[in-house]
This record gives sequence, C-alpha cells and structure tokens, in this order.
Amino acid sequence: MHIGKLNEISRRAFLHRSSQLAAAGAASSWAMGLAGIGEAAAFSPGTDYKALVCIFLYGGNDHNSMLVPFDSANYDLYSAIRGGGPGQTAGGITPARASLAATVLAPPQGQVLTNDIQYALAPQMTRLKARFDQGAMAPMLNVGPLIVPLTLDQYKSSNLVANPRPAKLFSHNDQQSTWQSSKPEGATDGWGGRMGDLALSSNSNALFTCISATGNAVMLSGTQALSYQVSSGGAIAVNGIKRSLYGSSKGSAALNTLMTQAHTHVLESDYNTVAKRSIDAEGVVSAALSQVSLATSFAPAVGRNRLAEQLSIVAQLIAARQPLGVRRQVFMVSLGGFDTHDRLPQDHPGLMDTLDFAMDAFYRATLELGVADKVTTFTASDFGRTLASNGDGSDHGWGSHHLVMGGAVAGGRYYGTAPQISLNSNDQVGQGRLLPTTSVDQYAATMATWFGVAPSELPSVAPNIGRFATSNLGFLG
Amino acid sequence: MVLETLALQDSGAVEAEPGDMRQNVEPPTAKQSSRSGPVSPSNLAVAALALTTAACGGGGTSSGTPPGPGSTAQARKPQSDAEAAQFILRASLSVSTAEIANIKSVGFEPWLDAQIGAQIGQTGIAWLASRGFDQVTAANYFDNEYPGDYMIWNQLMTGSNGVRKRIALALSEYFVVSLTGLNFAWRSQAIAHYWDQLNARAFGNFRELLEDITLNPAMGYFLNTQGNRKEDTRTGRQPDENYAREVMQLFTIGLYQLNGDGTPKAGANGQPTETYTNDDVTNLARVFTGYDWDFTGNVDTLAVGSTTRKIPGTGYVTKAMTSDFTKWRSPPSSSQHSALAATFLGTSVPANTDATAALKIALDALFNHSNVGPFFARQMIQRLVTSNPSAAYVTRVANVFNNNGTGQRGDLRAVFKAILLDDEALAPATRTDPRFGKIREPMVRLVQWGRTFGALSTSGNWNIGNVSDSASRLGQSPLRSPSVFNFFRPGYVPSNTMASANGLVAPEFQLVNETSTSGYVNYMTTAIGSANGINNDVKAQYSAELAIAPDAAALVDHVSLLMAAAQLSDSTKAVIRQAVEDVVVTASSPDSEKLRRVYLAVLLVMASAEYLVQK
Repeated sequence: MHIGKLNEISRRAFLHRSSQLAAAGAASSWAMGLAGIGEAAAFSPGTDYKALVCIFLYGGNDHNSMLVPFDSANYDLYSAIRGGGPGQTAGGITPARASLAATVLAPPQGQVLTNDIQYALAPQMTRLKARFDQGAMAPMLNVGPLIVPLTLDQYKSSNLVANPRPAKLFSHNDQQSTWQSSKPEGATDGWGGRMGDLALSSNSNALFTCISATGNAVMLSGTQALSYQVSSGGAIAVNGIKRSLYGSSKGSAALNTLMTQAHTHVLESDYNTVAKRSIDAEGVVSAALSQVSLATSFAPAVGRNRLAEQLSIVAQLIAARQPLGVRRQVFMVSLGGFDTHDRLPQDHPGLMDTLDFAMDAFYRATLELGVADKVTTFTASDFGRTLASNGDGSDHGWGSHHLVMGGAVAGGRYYGTAPQISLNSNDQVGQGRLLPTTSVDQYAATMATWFGVAPSELPSVAPNIGRFATSNLGFLG
Repeated sequence: MVLETLALQDSGAVEAEPGDMRQNVEPPTAKQSSRSGPVSPSNLAVAALALTTAACGGGGTSSGTPPGPGSTAQARKPQSDAEAAQFILRASLSVSTAEIANIKSVGFEPWLDAQIGAQIGQTGIAWLASRGFDQVTAANYFDNEYPGDYMIWNQLMTGSNGVRKRIALALSEYFVVSLTGLNFAWRSQAIAHYWDQLNARAFGNFRELLEDITLNPAMGYFLNTQGNRKEDTRTGRQPDENYAREVMQLFTIGLYQLNGDGTPKAGANGQPTETYTNDDVTNLARVFTGYDWDFTGNVDTLAVGSTTRKIPGTGYVTKAMTSDFTKWRSPPSSSQHSALAATFLGTSVPANTDATAALKIALDALFNHSNVGPFFARQMIQRLVTSNPSAAYVTRVANVFNNNGTGQRGDLRAVFKAILLDDEALAPATRTDPRFGKIREPMVRLVQWGRTFGALSTSGNWNIGNVSDSASRLGQSPLRSPSVFNFFRPGYVPSNTMASANGLVAPEFQLVNETSTSGYVNYMTTAIGSANGINNDVKAQYSAELAIAPDAAALVDHVSLLMAAAQLSDSTKAVIRQAVEDVVVTASSPDSEKLRRVYLAVLLVMASAEYLVQK
C-alpha cells in the first residue's frame, strides 16, 4: 500500500531535505550544495580517466603505530606513555627506536612539524617508505570528522548549537558511517557515491561508476549512484542460468525468471533488483575482464593478502575501463582487524605489512597500466586510537593519520598539523584521543577537486566544507 | 595480559603449573556456573517453567504473559497449514508436517510452551567430546577453529530444541562472540561453551545471561576483559575500555535515550540525547578490570611431538572468568582490579569495592536502565519476525521485558513468547502487507534446508565449515560475525531501494549485493543436488519428497509449505512446476530421476524472492 506513494514519498523527502538545507542559513555551504543536486554536468567532456580508491581500515587504525615519532625527544615522550623499554628499546606497545631507522620519512625539501617531530612508518612499511621518497606518497596528519573547526575549549563547551560535533563519537559503526557519509549509522549516501552522482553522465555505463570490492558500505552510494559489488575474482555468474539446472534447460529458464521478476513486496522487489543487476552486469564485466592482461603480481611471497586480492580486481577493472565505458570511477576495498584493544604488538605489524604490500602492488599495477597519475589511493578508518596504552593495546579515539598515494600525489612531505606527543595538550580530548585539525570534508574535497568536481559543487560532496578555511589541502597538486 | 594469551597460543615453552591441591578440587560443571547459587532467579525460572509446562495442556494460565494480546493468543489456533508453518518458521529452525498438525491441534501458545519446556539435548561441549575433539592428538584440535564449525552445524542441523536453538541463534547476533579470531587453546570448546550458555539461558533471565556473557571466557578474549588490568599511574596505563563501551552500546542500553517504543527521546533542541559520555566509558572500564581465565584444577598435557609445549585442559574455557587471581594461569602477587571509584550513568561504585560487588552494581545498573527493554525487544523482533515492527509492537514486548506480569524484569521466556504471540505477528495482514517481514538470513536458510529434508553427515562431523565467503558460499556463517557489531546493523538502510524510499530499515540487506545473490544460489545448487553432498559429507535424504515426486504440483506445494509457509504465489509455483515437469517421471522411474525433480523444486523455491523474504 505504500508502493503507490513511492514518488510522493521521495518528493517529500527531497523537499524536507531542501527545507533543512534552507534552515541552515544562507551562510551555510548546504545552500550552495543545492546547486549540484539533479545536475550532472560536473565534468568536462573528453576521454580522460580518473579513479579514486578508498582503502578502509575497519576497526580503527592505531595511527600511533603506523607513524611513530622517531626523533629522540618525541620518541622518548611516546615511549614513556606507551610502555617502552629502557634505552629506547621495545616495551609495552612501543617498538624499539632502532627498528624504525629504515622507514624514517624525511621530506627531501625539509619540513618542520610540531615540536620538530620526525616520523617513521611502521618498520614493516619499507615499500611505502620508498614511495614517499619517490614523491608518490604523503601522510595526512590528524584528520577526522568535524562539522566545524573545534578548539579544545569549544569541544568542552556545553553549547552544542554553537559548537556542533559529529554524533556518536568513538563508536565503531557510527564513525565508520560518519567518515564515509558525514552521518551516523543509517545514512544512505557517502561522499564517494556523491562524487559518483556527479560523474554518472561522464560514463556511458553508469553502473560501473562506483564499485566496491568489499562488503556493502555507505561510502559508494549516492543519491542516484549505485554501489556495484564485485568479488576479488570478478563478477559471479549464476551457474544454473549459464548452464542447465540439474540437466534441465527449463529449470535454468525458471531460475532466471524467479531471480529477476518484479515483485510488489518492498523487500522482494529490492532483492530481485540486486539479483537482476548482478545477472545483467556479470556478462559485461566478465567479457571486459577477459581482455585484461596484467603482469603485476598481487600475491605475497607467503600466505594470502586479502587486501591485495581486492586491489587486484580493482586494477583489472581499471585496465578494462574502455570496454566498461567509464571515465570517472570511485572504488572501495577494505582490511579488517584494526580494533587492537589487545595484542597490538602482535597483530598490528602484520596489518601494516599487509597494507604496505597491497598498496605498493597496486601502485605498481597502475604504473604498468600507464595510469599512475590518474589513480589516487587513500586510507580511511573508523577513528584513530588513544595514545595512552591499556597495557597491550589502545582504545577508541577520533582524529587519525592517513596515507595518500598515486602519481598525482604531491608526496614526499606531510600534510596537516602534527599533534603533540602528550596526554594533556590542547590538541586531544583525553588519553591522547586526537581532536582533528583537518576535517574529513577537507580530505574529501581535495580529492573531489582533483577528480573534477567544480568548486560550486563541492558542498554536495562534502557538506560541511564551507565552514573550513580551505577546500584544497594541496596534496593533489 | 599479553602473557596469559601468549602462553596458550604460542608453540614456545610454557611454564608448568605446579601440581597443587587445586587439582583435587572438582571444577564446576559447564552448565552450572560457579557463581550461580542454588536459589538464583534463573533456577527459580526453570522450576516455574516446568510447572507451567505441566499445566498448559489444560489451558491454564501461563506465567510470563500479562493480560492483553497474549491472553487472546493463548486460545488461538492456526486456521491453516500456512498459518501454522508461518508461526513455526519464526519460532524454530524448520517445520515438519507433523508439527503443523500438532500446533493446529493444540494451538500456538501450548505448542510454544511445550517446545520451551523441552529438555535441552546434547550440548556443544558434549558433542565435541563425543567426537574426540577434546583430546590432545597429533591433529592439534586445540589450535583449530574447524571443530567449532562442526559443532555449531551439528547443533543447528540435528536434534530437538529447534525453538530454543532458534532463540539462541538470535541471541548470538546480539551478544556477539565470533569464532573467527579466537586465538587461544581450545577455541572450539570456548565457542561451544558460549553457544551452550546462550541455549541454557535462552528462556532464563536477561540479568543472569548478561553476567554469564560478561564473564564468558570467549567473550573475555573477544572484547578484552580477560587479562584487563587496573590503571597504573606510574606508567599511565589505562584499563581497556572495549567491554565497557560495547556492553552499553550493543548489549544493554544503546547510544540514545529511548522511549518505551524504542524510538529516540527528543532532548533539548529536539535532538536525541546520548545515553553515555566517554567519561562513563572510562569509569565503567574500571569495573571490568582484574578478570582472567580460571585455571582451577588445570592439568597440562604435552602437545604431540613437542617436548616443551604444554597444553592446558579444556576446563578453563568452560568456567566463568574470575577475579580471584590465585586461580589464574600465572598468578600475579596482587589483585588487578581497579580500586578507584567509578561513576557511570549516575551510578557510583565506591573506591575499594571488590570486583564481584562492583560487577553486581554495574550490571544491575545497566540491566535496570529503562532503555534495555525497548532496545532488546526491537532487535529480537527484527531477528524473528519483521524488520520494521510498529511502535506499539515494540512497546508491548518491552513492557513484558520490564514486567513479566508477576513483577519480574528481564524474563526472556516471557519476552520471546510475547514477540511470537503478538497480534501484529499473527495478523493475516502479515502475508499481504508489502512492508512486513524480513530477509531470511543465509545461515538460517541452509539450516532450514538441512532439517527439512533430513540432511545427514556421512563422516558424522557435519563438515560444512566456514561459509562466510559471499562469492562461493553463503556470505554468513553461524558464530562467525566479522565483528561484535554482528553481520548487519539493526538500523541498516540499503541505498537507492524501495525500502529506503519507504523509510524502512532492512538489516539483513547489508549482506545482499551483486556477489552474494549469485554466490548463494550457486552454493545451494551444489548443496541441494550434488551426488555426495556438501564437502562430500552433508547430504539431504528427501525421503518424503521422493515419494511425491511424480506429482509435480503436490511436490511444489509441499516444498512451498515447509520452506516458505505456503507464501509462494500461484504464478511462482506455476513457474517452478513447469520446470519440475520438464523432468519426466512416473511412479516407476528410478530415484535418480525423481531426485532431479526434487532438486529443481527445492532450489527454485529457495531462489525465489517470495521465499527469501520471510513474512
């Protein structure tokens, strides 16, 4: 009975949202965002190609173990807080200082950070250290969700109207959603998908604008753009439709009918919409991928690297961009296991090795395909973690460090503001949970601008961008 | 806390536990935790339950159901096979023609009471032992997860207690522990004990279950209460906050203050009010310090082929974690429980309160928070009946949580009865309202298939394994959630769908994508019709279906009833029947041909959206 009202409901939802936007006031960037809605002429015509690849680190990456202070003074502060051993040896959740020597990130142009801090990547990340030195990788320091810029005093203020903050901070599912969409759990569009909305008309096959090689996530859904899902092995055919079903061709036809037919029940309709899309797209994707030859290996010397497996299919899809009919794409892959409350010294190094190998393999693939400067890869995560230790792990935080990589990245240097190594400085909200000094909206807007989103359309991608000093952090030229 | 963990999972040398008098102490049994006194509420509930069951044949009053919808439902009987199957497929893991006849005869509530009152069958722990998986052998079962997968598939695919197990499975998606990543000796026994506790407490009291879960050895590892140490002002070390946060966010009160119907309360400025701050988390974290696994009576065994690696007995993964540090694997010199005062949610634990007393204060405060009823009720309705229950439905169930009619709070037996017997669940409109129902979870579909068609395990191991991969398997495996946030979120809204346009949530849709829709059908195609069954081990018998295979219409109606509560439309049944008739079969045809008909009927039903959405 609600079916017939679908259009009406959608229209009312749109009007409701519009009135919310209007209520936010003319000064708000939301008002500008309306200009982008429903218009799809974001990108100039042509045949160029660009892709963004989000690597989501599920669980909340311990950024303090990914970028570790290396200069003696800051290392000592870090070691004291994180249980390091005497004489700059390992202890608690602190690696030995000497183990970091090979992965120090020293900007060749020189760059002075807060308290003269120098960082090293986790000791496992030798490949990305080399990419930094080549200028293809850059760390983004202390980025996290914000609605407006916040000082510590403003954060502590009880006036939440003047000093709004993201809802449900420190909660995994909500901050995953907030990172991806600017809203907590239940959001239905993310900034990758909102970029996709603007790119739909640039792609002759709009379905392949936003592709997830991991599970369902709001990141890649737009108000119109769909998140299309592939497995690490590509699109999955329904065997009983491709061939006969238990020896029956009528059975095969019946299966096709049942999986694709329309229904009036909302959930039945939605389920078959996905199943039909899967069946329809599989032939196109499989045919396009069959033409791809990619020499770059995504297989580690030992064991499996599931992140690399996902990035392998992304690289193959990029290689197949012409038969797939796409000029602008946003991809998402993920790696889990980052909720290191415990066993951080045992578990985190392996995660860093996995990330390092996978990102590097993907970069090598883009070099092989001649698209290194057309593909930008970036990390995201639920949140950063406490600088304080709970003995063998750390707890949920807020701001975090992230990595951006690609031929278009102005790498070999840091972006953002380095936090102090302290549990009571004014850049953290307790136990070293970082108060972000750069917002996710700025991080997103910088990439959106490189992707081709016009300045007037940025607010439709990054809704809070108008409240921040700059919409371009500069890491993409 | 590193030390205890490493000692168990690494292959290096482990200090021998000196033989001492504790070895002579009989450890508590798995079913009766050491904390449960003989007069605990749950034991009383069990006693009351037995009385109720005895009385209900005569339609006597049932404890736990207050006046209102329940009292009319009590006399209610299914008016058709379809109604009977619809009810049983929510309450249980599968339905049979015999059960349909039974519930039509006795009525909804008496049937349910009898199921609830049925004696618990073989436990997961007992099954593992019966298969020798508790032995230290060259196979190193203690280091492997696969016996845990065998265990849960055996539990779900076989035996009685379908209702109890269905409820326990729903609880396993609320108080989540995942076998994936349990990296310590006897992890399969640990997940079995967790499962056994959910089964044992499914119709007990929420407060007792909350305490069991809090001190459960697998949960202790999963959310880090095990080995959680008090703060150290010298080094700045803080208590681990993981359990404190998730016990509030996921197991009890949620993030927002709720109305009785489960909707967020509007605070000042119209916005929802958060239930806790980060200060509440850091304070409550102190309560969960000073616990570790209980090695009372432990005897080590050398791993086969090793002269150094000492494997503890299985007992420690079936005993509640203890704050008595003398019982730990490597006893420290003093308590690791925080002596600091802790203030959270307006409740205070005074400084120097011992661990047991502090835990009681904390769990009582959480249990008695007004959010728990609506928060828990809504999610359990979502698991069992419909993704989008009305506010009134949630209110009615929450009210039963708050008071079972005899003044008891948290009576799960009453809560689950209220969910299943509610007017909204039983209304005929459930079969026609295009918004009602939920997507059947993939693991529930496979279990339903196995139980309905008499699946057997050739090896006896129920080697179905981990079916989490969505490209080639089900995209969901029991007791293997990717995180404590379950396989999907109760508030998940699939983007750009009719559901989102209609303002509906669809939690299970978080598992639905272009890979999983194909992967599921491919997996079932093999499971249903391969010559040797799943992994050459688990194969359905289809004996009743073989007998009616020559009559295509009867076969389709039969499968439609048992799998989809006869909710397949005539047009869908016609599509399936025509495909079935493509295989020409007479009464004298060989079984191999009849089976092809059965395979087609079962697979096509299980691939149809009218089955996939349980209404």
